[in-house]
Amino acid sequence: MKQMLHKARGVVVLRVSGAYPERLLNALASQGILFWGTEPVDPTTVRLTLHKGDQKKVQALGERLLFEVTVERREGLPYTLAALRRRYALLAGLCFSLLAVFLFSQFILTVEVEGNETVPTAVILAELRRQGVRPGVFGPSLEEGDIAQRALIHLEDLSWMAINLSGTRAQVLVREKIPKPEMEVSAPADVVAKTTGLLLRVETWQGRPLFQAGETVVEGDVILSGWVPVEVPEYSQITDKGGRAVRAEGRIEARTWRTLTASIPLEMEIKSLTGREKRFYALDLLGKRMNFYGSTGISFDEYDKITQIHPLTLPGGRCLPFGLTVETVREYERLSAPIDPKGTARMLETQLRRRLDLLIGEGEVETCEVSAVEEQGLLTVRLLAQCREEIGKTVEWPP
Amino acid sequence: MEEKRRREGVLEKAARLTDLPADGLAGLPHLSLVGDRELTIENHRGILAYGTQEIHVGGGSMVIRVRGEGLRLRVMNAAELLITGQILGVELM
Repeated sequence: MKQMLHKARGVVVLRVSGAYPERLLNALASQGILFWGTEPVDPTTVRLTLHKGDQKKVQALGERLLFEVTVERREGLPYTLAALRRRYALLAGLCFSLLAVFLFSQFILTVEVEGNETVPTAVILAELRRQGVRPGVFGPSLEEGDIAQRALIHLEDLSWMAINLSGTRAQVLVREKIPKPEMEVSAPADVVAKTTGLLLRVETWQGRPLFQAGETVVEGDVILSGWVPVEVPEYSQITDKGGRAVRAEGRIEARTWRTLTASIPLEMEIKSLTGREKRFYALDLLGKRMNFYGSTGISFDEYDKITQIHPLTLPGGRCLPFGLTVETVREYERLSAPIDPKGTARMLETQLRRRLDLLIGEGEVETCEVSAVEEQGLLTVRLLAQCREEIGKTVEWPP
Repeated sequence: MEEKRRREGVLEKAARLTDLPADGLAGLPHLSLVGDRELTIENHRGILAYGTQEIHVGGGSMVIRVRGEGLRLRVMNAAELLITGQILGVELM
């Protein structure tokens, strides 16, 4: 530490020659001039170290005491800076570097979002970008409070947002809205058939059943009614006491027959690359794009454009707003090619089965027949399934 | 030949009789030897001779002779000085 302080002040190593150099040492000590590292070279010469500021005093004292004082070495910060004084280009570079560090540290390089669970980070970042918060923007020009409020208007699932700028990093803290609790619905409703079928079981939890097991219903038939008439007591003179509206609930199980079809042309258009391609390079600097090509015109009639972005990434995985963009344009031509009927039929069958599973929900498929026909340039796959499924659908009464 | 014995000064005698520190009262040199590598001398009167094998330091009514190998005057001011190196002996003359 002491060495560092000495170096910061600048030190001079002097060589003192003359009769009885101890005299000079005593004179320096009596005048309160700090020196150290005294080393006898020969009986009439001593080497000593002192601060830069004391050099002139020691030289004057040496001359008075008839000593020859020569400077052997100079070290420390003042001398280093003095050596740089005439190196104008280096000094300019140093100043420029310092200025660049100061200036570039004002630009936002990373935007980090914290506190979101259901709202995707990409959605928040996209809105912030729309509001002007993006890598490469000048930090002091941002009004964090206003931007947060404006972004919140467009991000309906967020209830709070704060933007903290710290150096080159914009930290965005968000809080999501707490979803409204689901209220128990008690509006009057009927249970209707969502598809045609043969009723296998009618289980009424609430409401009045209009169909029984074994009967057939068509799509839209009311199976459980939400209107329950009040029973008239025996021997009562009032014949109609009205009824009460309830929310009909129950389990309606039925056998259904579903027919699903899917078609595909027997000949498809495919892309065939001609082998001709062009590449365009561009540099992304703080959100600005610098193209390394003159004309953006592409002479191909039909082409695919593949864009690859290579951002500059720090070892921790953080991306900086600098990167190289490579756009590859490949020409292709359209060709007609026949499809493989067997493979395509299998693919369509898989898709139809998937659709059927979605339609019947928790129900089960009892039997299933699949047929494929080629007609009028189309391959048509038909799936006929007998299912056992829940067909009840709650339909609320109009207000 | 027998060495001449140094006469005790009045202040030294007073310090001895009153049990007060003689270095403070009489200005006698105060030597602190740390092992055989460091010697600090307070209340010195200056360097009389300086070499790598022998350093003579003025101590008022006496001369302190430090003998050794590779002796160096590490730091010095008006009140104290520090001698480093391999110290083989300290004599009062």
